[in-house]
Formats: sequence, C-alpha cells, structure tokens
Amino acid sequence: MSDEEHHFESKADAGASKTFPQQAGTIRKNGYIVIKGRPCKVVEVSTSKTGKHGHAKCHFVGIDIFTGKKLEDIVPSSHNCDVPHVTRTDYQLIDISEDGFVSLLTETGNTKDDLRLPTDENLLSQIKDGFAEGKDLVVSVQSSMGEEQICALKDIGPK
Amino acid sequence: MHQGYYQSMGAADMAQLQATMQAIELACNSIQMHTNPTAAEATLLSLSQSPRPYQACQFILENSQLPNARFQAAGAIRDAAIREWGFLEPNDRRGLISFCLCFIMKNANSPEGYVLVKVASVAAQLLKRGWLDFTAAEKEAFFHEVEQAVQGSHGLDVQFAGISFLESLVSEFSPSTSTAMGLPREFHEQCRISLEQDYMKAFYCWVQYAAFNVSDRIIGANSEIPEVKVCSAALRLMLQILNWDFRGKNSIENSKRGMDIFYDGMKQENDSLRRSECILVQPGPAWRDVLISSGHVGWLLNFYTALRQKFSCEGYWLDCPLAVSARKLIVQFCSLTGTIFPSDSGEMQRQHLLQMLAGIVQWIEPPDAVSKAIKSGKSESELLDGCRALMSMATVTTPLVFDELLKSLRPYGTITLLSALMCEVIKDLMENRTEEETWSWVARDILLDTWTTLLMQLDASGHKHSLPPEGISAAANLFALIVESELRAASASAFNDEDEYDYLQASIAAMDERLSSYALIARAAVGATIPLLKELFSERIMRLHQGRGTSDPTETLEELYSLLLITGHVLADEGQGETPLVPKEIESHYSNVTEVDKHPVIVLSGSIIRFAEESLDPELRRYFFSPRLMEAVVWFLARWSSTYLMPPGESGENKGGYENYNNTQHLRGQTTNALVSFFGENDQGKAVLDVIIRISLSTLVSYPGEKDLQALTCCQLLHGLVKQKNIICHLVTLDSWRDLATAFTNERVLFSLNAAHQRSLAQTLAVSASGMKTSEASNQYIKSLTSHMTSALVELSSKNDLKAIAQQPDIILLVSCLLERLRGVARASEPRTQKAIYEMGFLVMNPVLIFLQAYKDESVVVYLLLKFVTDWVDGQIIYLEAQETAAVVDFSMRLLQLYSSNNIGKISVSLSNSLRSEADAEKYKDLRALLQLLSNLCSKDLVDFASEPIETYGTNISQVVYTGLHIVTPLITMDLLKYPKLCHSYFSLLSHMLEVYPEIIAQLNVEACSHILGTLDFGLHHQDIEVVDLCLRALRALASHHYKDRGDGKVGLGSHATSYKDADGKFHEGILGQFLRSLLRLLLFEDYSTDLVSSGADALLPLILCEQSVYQNLANELIERQVNQTFRSRLTNAFQSLITSNNLSSTLDRMNYQRFRKNLLSFLIEVRGFLRTV
Repeated sequence: MSDEEHHFESKADAGASKTFPQQAGTIRKNGYIVIKGRPCKVVEVSTSKTGKHGHAKCHFVGIDIFTGKKLEDIVPSSHNCDVPHVTRTDYQLIDISEDGFVSLLTETGNTKDDLRLPTDENLLSQIKDGFAEGKDLVVSVQSSMGEEQICALKDIGPK
Repeated sequence: MHQGYYQSMGAADMAQLQATMQAIELACNSIQMHTNPTAAEATLLSLSQSPRPYQACQFILENSQLPNARFQAAGAIRDAAIREWGFLEPNDRRGLISFCLCFIMKNANSPEGYVLVKVASVAAQLLKRGWLDFTAAEKEAFFHEVEQAVQGSHGLDVQFAGISFLESLVSEFSPSTSTAMGLPREFHEQCRISLEQDYMKAFYCWVQYAAFNVSDRIIGANSEIPEVKVCSAALRLMLQILNWDFRGKNSIENSKRGMDIFYDGMKQENDSLRRSECILVQPGPAWRDVLISSGHVGWLLNFYTALRQKFSCEGYWLDCPLAVSARKLIVQFCSLTGTIFPSDSGEMQRQHLLQMLAGIVQWIEPPDAVSKAIKSGKSESELLDGCRALMSMATVTTPLVFDELLKSLRPYGTITLLSALMCEVIKDLMENRTEEETWSWVARDILLDTWTTLLMQLDASGHKHSLPPEGISAAANLFALIVESELRAASASAFNDEDEYDYLQASIAAMDERLSSYALIARAAVGATIPLLKELFSERIMRLHQGRGTSDPTETLEELYSLLLITGHVLADEGQGETPLVPKEIESHYSNVTEVDKHPVIVLSGSIIRFAEESLDPELRRYFFSPRLMEAVVWFLARWSSTYLMPPGESGENKGGYENYNNTQHLRGQTTNALVSFFGENDQGKAVLDVIIRISLSTLVSYPGEKDLQALTCCQLLHGLVKQKNIICHLVTLDSWRDLATAFTNERVLFSLNAAHQRSLAQTLAVSASGMKTSEASNQYIKSLTSHMTSALVELSSKNDLKAIAQQPDIILLVSCLLERLRGVARASEPRTQKAIYEMGFLVMNPVLIFLQAYKDESVVVYLLLKFVTDWVDGQIIYLEAQETAAVVDFSMRLLQLYSSNNIGKISVSLSNSLRSEADAEKYKDLRALLQLLSNLCSKDLVDFASEPIETYGTNISQVVYTGLHIVTPLITMDLLKYPKLCHSYFSLLSHMLEVYPEIIAQLNVEACSHILGTLDFGLHHQDIEVVDLCLRALRALASHHYKDRGDGKVGLGSHATSYKDADGKFHEGILGQFLRSLLRLLLFEDYSTDLVSSGADALLPLILCEQSVYQNLANELIERQVNQTFRSRLTNAFQSLITSNNLSSTLDRMNYQRFRKNLLSFLIEVRGFLRTV
C-alpha cells in the first residue's frame, strides 16, 4: 500500500517533528490536537455546517495537557489540523532533591535531573511519602512540543 | 365525641398534648423561616415515628391554629397508621378513618384547602389499607356519610369536601396513582377490582346527581356563584371515573386492552399505541343505563351550550375551570366504546356519536370563520377540544361510519370537514412561521393524528376499503396544500443560520413522524399525489439546470431536499428490520397499468435516480450537489431500494415456474409485476444497483469530512443493500463493487473516514462475501480484503524502533484505522467465512499484544484493541475446534494479564477535572470490554460446534473464566461499579458464573474469594433492582450448592464456609453465615422494592438451611432487643412460623421454595412495621 509506505518513510526524522498534519474530520474525542500553539487533549467534538448547503466544520474543545486550561477551535472538517506528538516515558525515581527537582534513572543508565516535582498535591504526596518509605517508584513523564511533566506514578516494589 | 374524650383525661395528659403541639408548631414555623431546618425536620419525624401518636395528632388537628402543623399531623397519622396497621385494634382502625372523614366534613369551609386535601387523602389511604378486611356493612357506614355530603344535604362546602374525598379515593385505588404502602401488587389489584365492581357506578351517580342539581342555578345566575365550584369538581370526578381503566367482569373478554372488540378484528393493537392521547372508555354493559339511556349526555351537551351563552357574563369565560372540565368530559364521551353498546351492528354507538358531533360541530364550524376569530384574539381551546373529539371519534369508528356521521347534519361528510379544518390550520402555519408553538401547531398535530388513525385502519383492513370518492379528493387537496406549505417553508429557511439547523436536527424524530402521516394522506389519494410529486420534482430540476451559473440555487436545493424526504415517505415504508413491501395503496391503485413508461411510480423513481446519477459528474456535483442535498439523495436511495430494488418475491421463482407463481399470486396483480419487474434483476435492477454503488463510492471519496453524509452512505445505504440476500449475489458480480473494495484497501482518502464508518464499511464489504457462489470464493475474498491490513499490522509490530515511532500521531491514526477495519470484519463473522476471519485474527494475535504494550498510555488505542479482540472472539468462539479454542483462550489470558500489569496500582493525575473524569470513563470502558470478553468465552460452554470436546486440549472454560475474573476484579474498584453498565455486566457475569459453576469458588484462594464475595455484598445493597436480583441469584446458587453438596457428604464450599477461631482467638464467621446476617438485615431494616421479596426468599431459604444455628442466634438477638412484651411474642412467633408454617420441609425443591416465598412475605408484613421504628 502506497500511503503506508509514505507513513513509514517519514519516521526517520519523526523524533524531531513536534506535530503532524491530520484531517480535522478524523480527529476524535480523546485524541490530541494543537490549539493556539498548545498541545491539547480533545474532550469534545461537534460538527456543524456553514449555512444549510455549505460544508461541514468541526468544533473542538481541548484541554491543554500541561496546564489544564480549556481551549476551543473551529476548523472546516476537510482541512488539516496540527496534531502534537505526545510521548510518555517511564523512569525509575532515584532521588528527590531539596529544591523540588527529581533525579530519574534513564533506560541507558544515565540520570535525568531537569524535572520538577509535580504541582498536583495528590501525586506530590504520593511520590514524597512513597519515596520516604523506600518503595520502588516508577514515574511516567509526558512530553510534547518541547515541554515535559510528570503525569503518573506506579509502585513496582516487591509485592 | 372527641372533645369529651379529652375532657376525661387528666390534666397532666392535657399538658403533655399541649407541649407536643407547641413543639410541632415551632418546628413548622422554623422550617418556614428556614431557621435550623434539620432540627425541625427531626422533630416532625419523631412525631410520625413515635408509637401510637394518634392522640397527639388528633389534638393538633383539632386545636392548632397553624395550618402547617395540622398538615404535618395528618401526615403523621398516615405514616404511623400504615406502619402499625397490623396490630391496631379494628376499633382503632375504624376510629382513625371516621376521625378523618368527620374532620373534613366539619372543617369543609376552612380556607386552607391543602389541609383538607391532605386529610382526605389520609382517609382514602387508610380506607384502602383496610379495604379487604372491612365488612361490607363497615364500608357502607363510611360511605353513607359521604353520600349524604355529596348529595348536598349539608350545604355546598360539605358537598365539595365529599366530592374531593371521592377524588382522592378513586386515585388511591387506581394502580398508576396509588401509594405503595409496602404491600404486594395483588393487594392493590384486589382493591381495584372490588372498587370497580361495587362502588364506581354509585360514585358516578352521586356526582352526576350533584352536578345536575346545581346546574340549573348556575345557568340562571348572572355572575359566578358558589355552586360553580361544586359543579366543576363533580365534572372533574366524572372525568376521572371515565378515565378509570375498566377491566372487571364487564369487559372480561376484552382482555387485550385498547382493542375495540366492537369492530372485531378491524383494528390492531399497534395502532392504538400511536394514539397515546386518546384513552378508550370501555366501562362495559353495566354502565349503559347511567351513561347512555339516562339522557346524561344530552344534559351535558345542553349544559355546555347554555354555558357558552354566558361567556359574556362576569365570572364565566371560554377557559374558566367549569367550561374546561365540561369540554374535557364531552371529549371523553366521544371515545366511549366496547360492550356498553349492545350488539346492534353499531346503531346505538352511531346515535351516541351523532349526538356528540351535533354538539361539538358548533365549536369548529365553519373552519375559516373559527380560524379568523382565533387570529383576532378568541381563545383556541374550543377548536382544539373539537379536534380532540374528532380524533376520539375516529378512534372508535371505521372511516366510513366516521364520514357518514356528519352527512345527516350537513350536505358533506366528516372527512371533508376534517380536511377543511386542516387546510385552515396549514394556511395559518404558512402565514406565521414562528419558533414557538402556536395553536396551529397543536391543532395540526391532533388533526394529523386523526388522519393517521383513520388511514391506518384502512391500511389494516386490506385494500378492499378505501375512502369514499369525496374523501379521496379531500385528501388530495389537503396533500397539495401540505406540500406547498413544506416547500415554502423550505425555501424560506434555505439561508437560515446553523443554529436553526441544530434546532431542526433535534426535532428530526418529530419531523419523521409528521412525514409518515403526510405519506398516509398522500397514499389515500395516490392517483393525484404521485403525479403531483413528479411534476414538482421535474419543475425544480429544470429550474436548477436553467439557472446554472447565473443564479444562486440554494432555495431550490432546499426545496428538493424537502421533496426528496416527502417522496421517500410516500413511496416506501421504513423496514424496521424487515423487508418492507410496496405500500398497498400504491399496489392496488395501479393494478391495471402495464406499460412501464406510463407507470407514475416508475416515472417518478426513474427521474429521481437519473437526477442522483448526475452527481457522478464532477462539474454538476460542484454546482448542485451540496452535502445536504446529497444526504437527502442517499437517504432516498436507501429507503427506496429496500422496497423496490430486486424485491425478494420476484427473484428466484422466475428461473423455474415464474408462470406458475404468477397464477397463484393473483392478488398482487399486474401492477406489482410492472413495477417490481422493472426494477427486478432481469430488467433495470442491475443497472440501478450499479448506479447506486457508484454514487456511494463517489460520496465517500468526494465529500471529505462530511460525517453525516458518510454515515448515511455507510450505515444506511450500503448496510441496507447487503442485508438483502437477493441483492448480494448480484452485488459481488458488479465491477463497481470491486472498485469499492479496491478503493477501500488502497485509497488514502478512505483512511480519513470517521472510525465508526470505517468499521461499518469493512463489515459491509465482508458481509457481501456470502453472495459468492462457493465458500472457497468467499474465504478467498475475505482473505484478499484483509491481507493488506494484517500484513501492515504485522510489519509495523515487528519494527525495531516501534517504541520510538508508535506514539507519532500518523502511526496512531494508521493503527486505529486498521484495528477499526479488522473489528468491522470480525463483526461480519458467519459460518461461511468463519475460517478466513479466524485466520485474520490469528495472524494479528501477537501484534495485538505488542501494541497493547506499546500503547499502554494511549487509552484510545488500548480500547480499540480490546474491542477488536472481544468482537472477534464473540464471532468465532462457538465454531472453534478444540485446538483453536486453546490458542484463543491462551491469547485472551495473556491479553488480560498484560492489561492488568499495565494498569494495576497506577495513579494518574491530571490538572483538569474533566480530563480526570474522562480517564475514569476510559478505564470503565476498557473493563467493560474485558468482562464482555469473559462472557463471550463463557458461551463456549453453552453452544459449541467443535467436532471434539475442547477438554481434549486441556481447556476448561470455567477455570479460564474464573482466572480471568481473578485478574480483572482487582481493577474494578467500588468507584467504577458506580457506572451502571459496568455494574450490570460485572454482576451478570458473576451471577452467571456462580449459578453455573459454584464449585469453583471452593478452589479459589482466600484473597480472591473474599474480593468476589465483597463485591457481592456491595451489590446486595445496590440501588438498582436488577443488580440486587442478580446478587440474590448468585447467593441462592452458592448456598444451595453448599447445602446439597454437604447432604451428599462432599465438601461444598469447603473452608470458606466454615467458621473458625484464628490464632488470636478472634472469631471468623463462614461466608454463608455472613451473608445470612447481611440478607436478613436487608430484608428487615432497609428500603427495597417489594419485587425483590421473592428472589430474597429464594436466597434466604438455602442460607437458613445451611446455617441453622446462626439463624437461631440472629433471631434470638432480635427478640432480646424487644422491650415491649406484645412485640416480643409476635416476633418470636413470626420467626418460628417463617421456618415451619405451610409444611416447610428442609429440601430445596420448587414446592418448598414456593412455600417459603409465601412465608417470608407474611413474615415481613407481620414484623417489619414495628422492627423498623421501635
């Protein structure tokens, strides 16, 4: 299939690409979209028409995945939208420094020290308490369009 | 008498009563002022919950100056008496009722009507509570007083009070408005029957007499007089009684309610469902003297006519309560039917209806004058009630009788009047198009329902009947006016903004119903209406072509849109799952047209199809075929093709004995053949099918992003075509179909279809495989359809850098697309293509697991993966051979384990609340899919087409499903069980498992077992009746398994069921003991629906048998807690008789279960009242 080859070829430099074009009509609820330069998760899609005999357009409501702010956009459904490349990476937590930064162990054995503790109180206390109790914790880091944030936590300690 | 009662009491008691009254008054005031409402409510509650609060309540009712306090006291009497009824002395019971009755009579002139209404309803409820125990003489005593009051012997106020008591009583006895009072349905049913047989008619006569007596004075008076209040109450009660759902001996043969046995077989049950507005009144022959022969109707009509003259007087107007009640009663009399009329071939009913019509016709005639008067400010209620009356009459008669009625009064028939009325209404609608509902909207809906009622009867009675010629031309005129108004509305709204569009979308269901009624009218006059549609259609198309490039076509497009919808409804019915036939009216009207080019239906259909074909030309498409117009075109093609395109009756037979078939089908006549064979497989059928497929492909490719259009094409048009076997076999031979399949696999643009349409298209293409000649061809076809998808997934999953690229949006889109398509194909599983579809799934088993790992944070993809597997297993499992089953089961288990290890113990957070609840919802959907997967696996044990038993390969389904449950249940938190659907799936699976394989529980470890049983306990206290019922069934299964197994000397539930002391000396009760305690507590102390009592009994019996000593302990505990000696002995006896009366034995057979159900019910009625409060 020709178009798949097209997909596969583009992957060589995909890591570098922050966003991908995608037809507005194919973006679904729970997918991602860039609105006003921010990566968002789509929480609502509705379609309407420009006049009775005009073309369809999509109305998106998105939530900024880093700030939680609500953003909206309207795009003709046959046009392309930018879709952000959102990745999640798991790291083992090795230290929490006094100034609010964490030290994480990467797959290659290096450490990653440029991430702050999350601001969410629930997650923050879980991390701090869990770490204090000496549990083995794995944190998920969500990154997109040059930003990163800790978004989930898992206890992989001995059962 | 009560005063004397108080006087005889000591001063101390008096002071006590005063204090209670003050407390209650204080509480009432503080609720009203909203100061400390909780404390106030507690005070009020304590009154109604205290034992025997009657004296205090009566004291308050008689002495308090505060109406609210009296209101609360009445409520407290009701609550306490219903609760304590079982152990009140008969004297006390009667005393309470007569107290209430006396109270309302004595205080009839009190200005606080709501207190009286409350006391009246308390009296009605208590009377009903004791209804089956009171003797006839006791009831007579109560009613004697009431009758005196209603007859007016104690003045107007008392008369009104009496009538409103009867109103409360009748509504209390009517099942839909009764209070539950914690009693079984049989009780309510018996009360209903008894009241209907013994008292209903008497009540009616009393109020009839009352109304009759005051009416003269009302007519004579020049202003509003107090009698008006009594009269309208009386009319209201008469209406209420006529609304009663009569079912007694009178109409016993009339068991199918809503069916008019008078015109036996003329009507069908389903017609009357539509006419929800019109309740048939069928009181039976016993009522003939009161309602028919007594001249009652004549009096009522005259009374209203006299009332009309007074509308200029002060206090009377068209919508004053008295006029409204009178009109309502008159309308109700129009729907009188059934055995109340003797079997004199409808003569008496005709007389009755004629009398009604003569009275009503003044309200609606002449239609133009009436409509004009309304436009200049007159109230529309008479017109609307007149329309309702016509509707009732149409319901109880045949169209012919209906039409004849007016002919004895006027030179034209009723249908002509109906048509004239409707034309006026439509004209008004055309003049004022407003958003809000006007009188003409309401009138149009009622009149349309009337037409539908009449025409549906014609429809049901076969095509021998039709409207009289005059009626046909009335229908034709009306339809022409309707179409004109719809077209005018269309062109006026063509440029409206999108908000309006949304509004229309919302009312689409209502519009569909309206269009079906229009279609019925059009079909009544087929000869005129189809040529009319054809003409209007050609006119619009010509206008389009002429104006091309020079004028804006939008208005014409919108007119065509409407016209297509109307024509679609006129020509064809909606199948509703079955293959619709050519409408009878169309079939019979053209029975002698044999030349195809003169057959109006063929000409009309042909011109629409040719117009649709123009959309294939890119240039014309750009000019005319807006997405919205195309939606109408596709909708029309879908609807039309399911009726006319290669209909099943025609194919097949003509290969062999077509001549023979023709002869036997004389009824169908030539017409169907001209019509049917023209679009049949030997004539134009294939060519039309080809056009339709090409149009579908072009809408999918040329209208990117138009979801509504794509939805119609995929889910209605194409989906509808492959549902018909006779079409499929031609379909697969067409080049255009192959083009569609090729485009599906190769065209990039089809990858951007909406997910659901992607799936539906895949399913449609896969289903068409059954049209192939051999099963090899079918399997080959599926293989070539799916191979690109499977190989793409396999290739992608084996990439080394999958982890890096997987989360790229374009890869996610590709994977989701392919999975949706696979899921579509999986849902098309049929025995014939099962092999190929199994292969397809088998090839992607590994990739699925790899993707599940790679996309563990991408909930959208995870859900798709789970759904694909669930659907695939669902379609395959029963056909699989033992070895294949083993593979599928193994795969499913690995899937479950992987899902569980990715998700257990995970804490996700999000800054936004809506994202968090979104995440919960996603989890819920995943788990629901997993539970479905387990249920699908379960079905292998029930239906299995494999050639050898699956155990050959060591597969034990029950084991597998329990292991699955064991993996899934820890993921299901109590929070997630709040999703009703998940909760249902979980408990139905659980109760199914426990019912079918209770023995497995014994083999589970303590942790797993306690989690499962913990959820069971949770479910037992759930609000949803069905969930509780499922849990009770599971309990019954567990306990009866244990009991029977132990009886046979086996382990039963083993260690789980035994009680023991652990090392610390702490006592652990066995699970059955725990459940016994929990269930008994539920049954005795909590709120639940009475429907649950029998399944509660079914669970309780085996539990008691298993744990006799626990039961004894529990019973003793409860008895010990009772301080009151009477209650204590009652409770002891009740517990004893629960397990002994009715010859209850210690076996678990059907008889015994039945006996125990009865025992439990009487046990609960006996003790729940005092246990819950004392």
